[in-house]
Amino acid sequence: MSNIPAELKYTKEHEWAKLEGDILSVGITDFAQSSLGDIVFVELPEVGTDIDKEGAFGVVESIKSVSDLYSPVAGKVIEVNSDLESSPEQCNEDAYGSWMMKIKVNNIAEVEEMLTADQYKEICENEH
Amino acid sequence: MSLVQTSLHNKHLELGAKMAAFAGFDMPLQYSSVKEEVLTVRNEAGIFDVSHMGEFFVTGPDAVKFVDYIVTNDFAGSEMLKAVYSPLCRQDGTVIDDLISYKLAEDRVLICVNASNIEKDWNWISAQTSGFDIVLENKSDSYSLIAAQGPKIEAIFRDVKLLDNAEFPYYSIVEREFDGEKIIIARTGYTGEDGFEVFAGHKLIATLWDKLLDNGAKPCGLAARDVLRVEVCYPLYGHEISDELTPLDAALKWTVKTDKENFIGKEALVGLTSKYRLIKLSLEKGIPRDGYSVLNMNDEVVGSVSSGTMSVVTGKGIALCLVEREKFPADKKFKINIRKNNIEAIYHTKAFVNGGHK
Repeated sequence: MSNIPAELKYTKEHEWAKLEGDILSVGITDFAQSSLGDIVFVELPEVGTDIDKEGAFGVVESIKSVSDLYSPVAGKVIEVNSDLESSPEQCNEDAYGSWMMKIKVNNIAEVEEMLTADQYKEICENEH
Repeated sequence: MSLVQTSLHNKHLELGAKMAAFAGFDMPLQYSSVKEEVLTVRNEAGIFDVSHMGEFFVTGPDAVKFVDYIVTNDFAGSEMLKAVYSPLCRQDGTVIDDLISYKLAEDRVLICVNASNIEKDWNWISAQTSGFDIVLENKSDSYSLIAAQGPKIEAIFRDVKLLDNAEFPYYSIVEREFDGEKIIIARTGYTGEDGFEVFAGHKLIATLWDKLLDNGAKPCGLAARDVLRVEVCYPLYGHEISDELTPLDAALKWTVKTDKENFIGKEALVGLTSKYRLIKLSLEKGIPRDGYSVLNMNDEVVGSVSSGTMSVVTGKGIALCLVEREKFPADKKFKINIRKNNIEAIYHTKAFVNGGHK
């Protein structure tokens, strides 16, 4: 069974998020990295980009697949983890250590609306 | 429609394979990781369940003559106990399928066809038999097929007594008894590496699968198989070739023997100029995928990616692309569109990876 830390928030598209102040770090979950297999390419947004809630902010690719990354909230990208562009395999090795972008959140309520670990666990079990 | 299971289905599940639908079959996509499986085949020994592929037998005095008539390559002129790769074309030169014909005897030929085309091929081939003294049988349901590939597979085949010391060059075939049953072994494959394909009944294939695993071969899935074939630039039906294209579009002119006396499609293919040219491009950054646009340096679309993937061996995005002949740029410079960017590509004249087959 995949690792789903209780302290994080989740999306049904298999992103995780962690809020510090009004800055949200977003990455893909352990379930996502395991379903994708070897991640070989990560494309991230430019710093300063405004992103809509549920808007695509980047792409992760395994050898045989392409998946869009969706932002759980609206906001402005303030930092991206460019280490992942040169070492995308980190997403497989440490899904929750591999944040992809940090976004300044416009409306904190949107973070509250995200899935809890228990709710997300249920989604993973149904997809398995 | 429910998916068809091959005779090795339970073994795949026991091995923890990730399964996926392919041509109506529930097939193993990967067992460990695509990367590991590609490297296993390039450096060691991997085995694939390809039992979804179809097997037709042509028997009778005109068997060789008939197969030579329906395929574009020279089958009649090939040696006994040899395999021949060839497109199967309609009168207008478009490709119904690409297949391998195995000359087992003057009056007995095995044709191995793509899983996705079994029914289409059967309907076509069985409609061409008039005037030939042959019997055509579809034995796809009674045969299983394992592809065993990689530089270390020959030694494993000797260990399990599938091979003896007799000479067995590339594209040779042998029909022999094993555990009291007749099997067909061909030194063929779809990875560019040395290796074998073994046709046998379901029970015996299961025994062989276990034996090969016990002797060091590793199970590999269809995802790795696709990466392997793109790395060595082998065409795949539905990608580089299709109902709308001729063999000439996919750089398969070498398989169209227009000096043969007669074959289906000859009239259309003699003197024909292809609509497309198949080219090989790679990217320093980014992964080309099927359907992405190929552009010239003025950012005008000139074609599209027919097969694209990340190469495990080179670590680069690689693509086979069909480019319209009329739009082919004289400078041979291309870009590939990936999402919002047109990325300049590297043009290759040789395969991305050299397979080690003999």
